[in-house]
Amino acid sequence: MRDRAIAILRSLIFVAFSLILCAVVFQFAGYNAPQMLTAVVDGAFLRPGAVEQSLRWALPLFITAVGVGISFRAGFFNIGAQGQFYVGAIAAAFAAEALRGGPAFIVIPLIFLAGMTGGALWALWPGLLKLRSGTDEVIPALRGNFLAGLLLVYVTSGPLKDPSGSGQQVSSRPLDAAYRISNSLGLSPTIIGIAIVVGILMWVLVNRTSFGVLASLAGRNGTMVRWQGAKLWQLGLSSFVISGALAGLAGTIEFMGPNGRIASGFLPTHGFTAILIALVANLSVVGTAAVAIFFGGLASAALYLPIMAGLPAAAIDIINAAIALFITARTHVEKFLRLGRRSS
Amino acid sequence: MSIHSPPALACRDVTVRYGDVTALSDVSVAFEPGLIHAVVGQNGAGKTTFARVASGLVQPTNGAVEIAGQVIRTGHVRESRAAGVELVHQSFALPPSFTVAEAMEFGAPGRGGLYSRKGLAEKWRAHLAGLDIQVDFSKRIRDLPVETQQSIEIARALITDAKVLILDEPTAVLSPAGIEMLFARVRRLKQRGVTVILILHKIREVLGIADTITVLRGGRRVEGPVSAADISADRLATLIVGDAVKGQNPGDRDALVGNGGTHADVPSGHQRYASLAPALVLSAVSTVPDSEGAPLDKVSPSIRPGEIVGIAGVEGNGQKTLVRAIADLAGLSAGTIALGGEDITRKSLAARRAAGLRIIPFERNIEGLSLTSSLWENWSARELLQGPLLRLVNPARIRALCDGSLKRWGVHYHTSAQRAGSLSGGNAQKVILAREIDADAKLIIAAQPTRGLDIGATAFVWESLRAARDKGAAILLISSDLDELFDISDRVVVMLSGRVAGAFAAPYDIQSVGAAMTGAGAAATGAQR
Repeated sequence: MRDRAIAILRSLIFVAFSLILCAVVFQFAGYNAPQMLTAVVDGAFLRPGAVEQSLRWALPLFITAVGVGISFRAGFFNIGAQGQFYVGAIAAAFAAEALRGGPAFIVIPLIFLAGMTGGALWALWPGLLKLRSGTDEVIPALRGNFLAGLLLVYVTSGPLKDPSGSGQQVSSRPLDAAYRISNSLGLSPTIIGIAIVVGILMWVLVNRTSFGVLASLAGRNGTMVRWQGAKLWQLGLSSFVISGALAGLAGTIEFMGPNGRIASGFLPTHGFTAILIALVANLSVVGTAAVAIFFGGLASAALYLPIMAGLPAAAIDIINAAIALFITARTHVEKFLRLGRRSS
Repeated sequence: MSIHSPPALACRDVTVRYGDVTALSDVSVAFEPGLIHAVVGQNGAGKTTFARVASGLVQPTNGAVEIAGQVIRTGHVRESRAAGVELVHQSFALPPSFTVAEAMEFGAPGRGGLYSRKGLAEKWRAHLAGLDIQVDFSKRIRDLPVETQQSIEIARALITDAKVLILDEPTAVLSPAGIEMLFARVRRLKQRGVTVILILHKIREVLGIADTITVLRGGRRVEGPVSAADISADRLATLIVGDAVKGQNPGDRDALVGNGGTHADVPSGHQRYASLAPALVLSAVSTVPDSEGAPLDKVSPSIRPGEIVGIAGVEGNGQKTLVRAIADLAGLSAGTIALGGEDITRKSLAARRAAGLRIIPFERNIEGLSLTSSLWENWSARELLQGPLLRLVNPARIRALCDGSLKRWGVHYHTSAQRAGSLSGGNAQKVILAREIDADAKLIIAAQPTRGLDIGATAFVWESLRAARDKGAAILLISSDLDELFDISDRVVVMLSGRVAGAFAAPYDIQSVGAAMTGAGAAATGAQR
């Protein structure tokens, strides 16, 4: 437990590194770096309403990220979270369309079921390809992201097209208010409740079931677990599918909550940010929650930066990219630092 | 040899440390030119490190290396090579897909550019003929027997007129007949004036070939080089083993140092179970060919409770496939497998394990343990897999049980949360024993259970297997070390090319077992049961 906390703290040091790096770069680009950093903190947590706004972004990210973490633990590199997120939202939108007019207490659960199933199925085929023919899961899952993006363009400009749309961005017809789970600010007791339930269930699954222990063994050494009599596909594929279902759940929440509709190209970095969160959190569930709030804060600050520091909102993407870079290089950097210490 | 000629190879005060581990400690030794020198010691004695320092592969923390009187820069393979020292590794490094001619050319000094198959064969024919190596140049390395692969490695080492040839554990993968061939080759090299340094660990082999003997123990030189004529096998055994196995039974000690006894004292203790039905029966089992080893061809061994059956054979003759077939990790094309009287041919490994199958796998660090996972996770994997996947578990409780078990097995560790990779080989193997040997074990497969372990750990593994046997478990022991097999097996079965090539009972005759391993003793099959 303490080891894990230390590991997460170490990750956060790298996050701090990247913030400083970005500040330096922005300073040289002619912006005011201290003002930018203050704006980030203000926009994330201090400004009135900032905490709510940060949570609005953090909760769906947390749900996707905790799923990504589970697949990573089991040795499946689920880079396809973005696609599963989209397909989940699309499936939810279709279900909403089909069930239009039904009583909310039946329709809402069915929409959730459809969204999670959509995400799970979108994870299933790269997983099956890996198990059936030994294909690397990364490439199909990555391509699945593009396919899902195109699928989203198709359904929003075809079957689910909103005829009254402005034409600037095609989108689906808005969801009936009766089925919305939050207003457009995007934070409601339902969403908080779902995130808490997901968090608890996943924590139990990872830390308190045979499945969790064995999947993490399988992720580190599949051969050893096979010699113990495990069926790797059971552990690996189910982790992958759980991961897809959670991304689909996040897509459904975005559809039924803050957005109320799906639009082509909406939230295009959700899945990748979630992967980043899982990695920064070292795949621990509790850590994922903390890190998701941090990244939710960055997303919230993105809306605030242009006003306060004159920075484009895309500055947050640059910060995210810098964090990704540092986290990817983490082991090398740590090795480098340790070697330096030994020889000095 | 003039008495004034400088030593062919000398090390002065060589110390090698890897982190906190001292592999070699102040070793000084000089080898006279033109002789066959043996460096002996148990696993972990520092032999391989010594060979690597001498050949420039490892930079010592301290000390100097001299070749023919010249001090060379340590830790530089090119310099050692230029000075005439070549090392043949324990595990061969020939590209398996290359033909013999290509393997010879690969890495050889000389021109680049275009080659013709014929030209290459011509180029190397004389060199190999000069070393009495007969081989088809168009054959691929992977299709050659290990003995031939090894002789090609030696031929490669001798391309550049090497003065000193170091062979690291060259006998480990060979049959007794193959060892004889190798030694004959080494003697011819000596006649050509090459100084040969053999890294060995069996007294029988050392006394059969070496002119001088040097003994390493725990990273220190404890004797030598002394003339082989001046030292007795008993004294050598004591020097190699040290105090580590005082009070061990003498058979074990002889087996540890390869001091071939007669193995007449048949272990008893299993008589109690002699009337019971066999624990494992394979009936004419054949496997589907795959990339992981020779397929089985109608193999039908059976093992009774309270019996250790040893599987002998040159590596790669189907031993691993046999284990995989019993573990449901290789596809059967024919035959049935019964465990404790129950047909398990179509059962999964989990079901077979539930029926009492336990496996100490070949590759401790790959198949046996997940090195980056914690000890308690590794320890609990077998039991967790016996229940439903969604069963709730309490890590604190598992860790307490794990602590108890690891303490009982005498594992030296810090906390059950530490990574399995942080343990020494012997302790890691004990974790596997703790997991695989329990009261419900009916059949224990022990595949190369002592490979790479030091004396104490090896003796411990043997004692553990005997204890399990005496409690009524059936044990299938796969080993390429005949001394180990002879010491603790109640019967020995020899495998060759995926078939059973002979079955032997104590007292074992190393010659006839060796003959069966190479196929020369086909007549022995069934003669001794």
